[in-house]
Amino acid sequence: MDVTIKKEGAQTLVTLVGRLDTTNADQFQKDITPLMQDENPDIVLDCTDMEYTSSQGLRMFLLLQKSVSSRGGKMVMTNMKSQVKEVFDITGFSNIIKIL
Amino acid sequence: MIKRFDPIEGRNSDIIESIMQSDEVVGLGDDLKFKIRLCVEEVEENILCYSGSTWVEAGAEVEGDHLSISFRDGGVEFDPLAKADPDINAPLEERQIGGLGIFLCKQMMDVVEYKREGDHNVLKMKINIKL
Repeated sequence: MDVTIKKEGAQTLVTLVGRLDTTNADQFQKDITPLMQDENPDIVLDCTDMEYTSSQGLRMFLLLQKSVSSRGGKMVMTNMKSQVKEVFDITGFSNIIKIL
Repeated sequence: MIKRFDPIEGRNSDIIESIMQSDEVVGLGDDLKFKIRLCVEEVEENILCYSGSTWVEAGAEVEGDHLSISFRDGGVEFDPLAKADPDINAPLEERQIGGLGIFLCKQMMDVVEYKREGDHNVLKMKINIKL
């Protein structure tokens, strides 16, 4: 999973490319650590090229959403592929993370 | 075809790819392969985390309209299906981290069954590949 973080004014744009699974979830957690520091963050996760996530990946998104909410911020995931969206739907994650 | 992996430590990718690249799976559609990869990863992760086995036999076979994926390991008795499903309607602050993997398998596969056979844990999943 390649993670690119770019600041655009008050917004932080995060581009996710590839698969998120047990082999790279630890690295992903390190990659998103900078997103867990600002107050009132405004984060957009571009999932156009996110091919796959297992439950390990879901854990990371839950961690991030909890962190963002606790700092009074907002987070949205965009352009998710239908197969990935199904994983979020089945687990109820679509109800706790905003997906556009 | 069922293959034996011994040892299993650090071989997550080998086990997943062995099933994904097998003749039984390689020609299936993308949606099916997505589900199969996910469920294989989740079961294998459970075996690595909880069974303590140093080996696993894993593979896929076609049985009529279904693909049957099986895992056999020599670890301590561990039935991943015995655990309660996570509360998927819980609000964000109450959502728990664990239990999502096997829950996904139960939802995505048509059959998921566990048996203790002698000193072995045997987990089988089936998914219709002809729909």
